[in-house]
Amino acid sequence: MPQRYLAGALALFTCAVLGFGNSSAFAADEYDYDLVHSSITFKARHLDISWIHGRFNEVSGKFSLDREDPSKSTFQLTIKADSIDTANKARDEHLRQPDYFDTKQYPTIEFQSTSVKPIKGGYEVTGDFTMHGTTKEITFKMMGGEEHDFKGTKRVGFSTELSLKRSDFGFDKRAIGPIGDKALVIIDCEGVRK
Amino acid sequence: MPDPWLYLQATAASAIVSAACVLAMARLQRSGQAAWFSTVCVPGIGAGLVTGIHLLSLSPAWPPANALDRFFALVIPAALVVELISGISRVAGQIAWWLRIGLAISIPRILLHGSVYLTGMDSDWPLWRTSVAMAISAALLVGIQVLLVRLSERSPGVSIPLALCLTIQSAGMTVMLAGYIKGGAAALPVVATLAATTVVLWLVRNRSDGSAVCGTAVSVLSVIVGIGVVGLFGVVFIGHFFGRLSMGSALTLLLAPLLCWVPQLPQIRPRSPLVIGLLRLVLVAIPLIVVLTLAKQTFDREMGPLLTQQFPVTAVPRRLHQ
Repeated sequence: MPQRYLAGALALFTCAVLGFGNSSAFAADEYDYDLVHSSITFKARHLDISWIHGRFNEVSGKFSLDREDPSKSTFQLTIKADSIDTANKARDEHLRQPDYFDTKQYPTIEFQSTSVKPIKGGYEVTGDFTMHGTTKEITFKMMGGEEHDFKGTKRVGFSTELSLKRSDFGFDKRAIGPIGDKALVIIDCEGVRK
Repeated sequence: MPDPWLYLQATAASAIVSAACVLAMARLQRSGQAAWFSTVCVPGIGAGLVTGIHLLSLSPAWPPANALDRFFALVIPAALVVELISGISRVAGQIAWWLRIGLAISIPRILLHGSVYLTGMDSDWPLWRTSVAMAISAALLVGIQVLLVRLSERSPGVSIPLALCLTIQSAGMTVMLAGYIKGGAAALPVVATLAATTVVLWLVRNRSDGSAVCGTAVSVLSVIVGIGVVGLFGVVFIGHFFGRLSMGSALTLLLAPLLCWVPQLPQIRPRSPLVIGLLRLVLVAIPLIVVLTLAKQTFDREMGPLLTQQFPVTAVPRRLHQ
């Protein structure tokens, strides 16, 4: 009989601990990057007279949003460099080579936030951006963040634009050629709540 | 973008520095000892390589970040050290071969370090497949090195390193045509230094007298061939695994120098050294011309439109013309 009480007490204790654990986890909402409703595109100047557009087709990531304490929010994104798509197969193959993205050596482009500040209409996010084996700290404004319930699934959306210099990330300056050094990256992402 | 003027400058500078270093050091000891000449060749080749690499802005980062960095920072210096040791007469030939084999086994692993082939991030390349590829590559490297060094010992002649230079140059051009410009440019200083050292060897041999000549030639040829085979292997391996050099082209480029063995056939062997040398170069050039022609055709088909901005009209839907 005392053993049964002991087992009951243990079960209660376990439930309580798990319950508390869950409640603290729920303080920050966790979202998975929704590949279907998101896009990471870029454009770079060609001969300084026009723009070449492209996108990365394989992206994964997650973000957690702490509504009460936004500084505890985090953003993480992983782009498969191999999935570059500029609507020209030969150019894509060329961009995958070591003169450019060197996708066999550096298969991913990654971002991991280190600090998040709330601003009007979104967040100011600072973090480590790793591309072509080089990590640089970047800061950008992620606009959005409002949650929407769609058919019982909570979703949240963000968008941002950031300007990156390829030469800052160890790309060969000579290979930059007629394509401008600066690339404008446009991120529109939707997260699905876990 | 490829810069032919820069390539020319780097090639010339590499060749001049190598030739000057080897000649200057060879003058220090006029006795023409084989071991001495082989030993001075290695720093001469090293100095030429450093010059060329610097001019081409290919100086490796430290720690090496990519395959080309590892090639110039680890593989080439290791090959130079191995050949330096091999050139010392006091070192037994067997030890030199063990060193060469050890290096050959390490090179594929060094060049693939940190890449998708070893991290398992590419589902097409599970670890077992990479291990098999590395083992076959190492075996090929050892095999080619053994056969060419043996040929240099059996029938010495400057045509062997020159054929090797021709192959490395073709490998560089093929890698470039496949879209990896820096990978192709990496061949230039290797070719320039080896060709310059070979020419110096030829000059010294023609001026030297009798007994020392043969020993010097064999010993130095082995050193040049040893470094050359590693250089060729590096350019082809990086071009295939990191660039878009096809397996067929890679194997043809690697195996082409072995055609230098053909004039060893009993029917051809009695011919004069000049005929044998020319025949070696012609035989090696044939597969190289085929590989380069195919690479150029692929380049014109795939990359040409990107440069000329002209796409086939047939690709445009007819409705747009109406």
